[in-house]
Amino acid sequence: MGKLEYLAVLGLCVLVTLPLELAGARVYRRPGRLVRAILPVALVFLVWDGIAIAGGVWDYAPESLTGILAPFGIPLEEVLFFVVIPICGILTYEAVGLIVPVVRRLSSRRVRR
Amino acid sequence: MIPWGYTVPAVAAVVAVVALELRVLRTGLFRKPAYWAAIVIVTGFQIPVDGWLTKLSHAIVRYDPRHLTGLRFPWDIPVEDFLFGFALVTAVLLMWERAARKEDTR
Repeated sequence: MGKLEYLAVLGLCVLVTLPLELAGARVYRRPGRLVRAILPVALVFLVWDGIAIAGGVWDYAPESLTGILAPFGIPLEEVLFFVVIPICGILTYEAVGLIVPVVRRLSSRRVRR
Repeated sequence: MIPWGYTVPAVAAVVAVVALELRVLRTGLFRKPAYWAAIVIVTGFQIPVDGWLTKLSHAIVRYDPRHLTGLRFPWDIPVEDFLFGFALVTAVLLMWERAARKEDTR
C-alpha cells in the first residue's frame, strides 16, 4: 500500500461507519452541528500533536504517508484523523441512540408480563 | 523517570474532559446509556485500527519509548492510546451535545 497506507486506514473507517448514517444516524446531514462539535476539539488535539511531534514524542513512518504536510510539520493524515475518528464516534453514538429506546421498550414489556 | 511526553498528557486529557463536563458543560452525557455503549463500541473498533497503526513490525505511528510507560496491550498498542481515544471521542460528543442544546434554544 506504501504511501497511501495511513490514508487507506482512514478511508476504511469512513466506509465502515457510513451504513450508520444510512440507517438514520443523521450526522453528515447536520453539517453545522458536526463542524461545531469537531472543530474546537480537533484544534486542541492538533496543537497537542504538533507539540508531540516537535518534542520527538512520536513520529510517523514516512513510507506510509503521502508526505503532504499541514503547518507545524503535522502530516495531512493526522489532520484527517481528527476529523474522521470524531465522525465515527458521533455516528456510533447516534446509532446507539436509535437503538436504546427500542431496547427499553422491549425490556419494559418483558417486565410487565 | 516519569513519562512526561505521552503518559502524563494522556491522563491529564481524560481528567480535563471529565472536569469540563462535570464543572462547565453539564450536558448530562455521562448519565446516558448510549454514551457508554458508544464508548465500548468505539474502543472495540480502536483495537484493530490502532493495532494496525502501532504494530511494531511495521508501525505507522512510532513512539519514543522514553515518553511512555511501555505498557502495550493488546498487540503493540500503547495503553496511553486508550486514554487519548477516550478523551478525544468524549470531548467531541460533549461538543455535539452542546451544539444540539444551542439548536434547541434558537
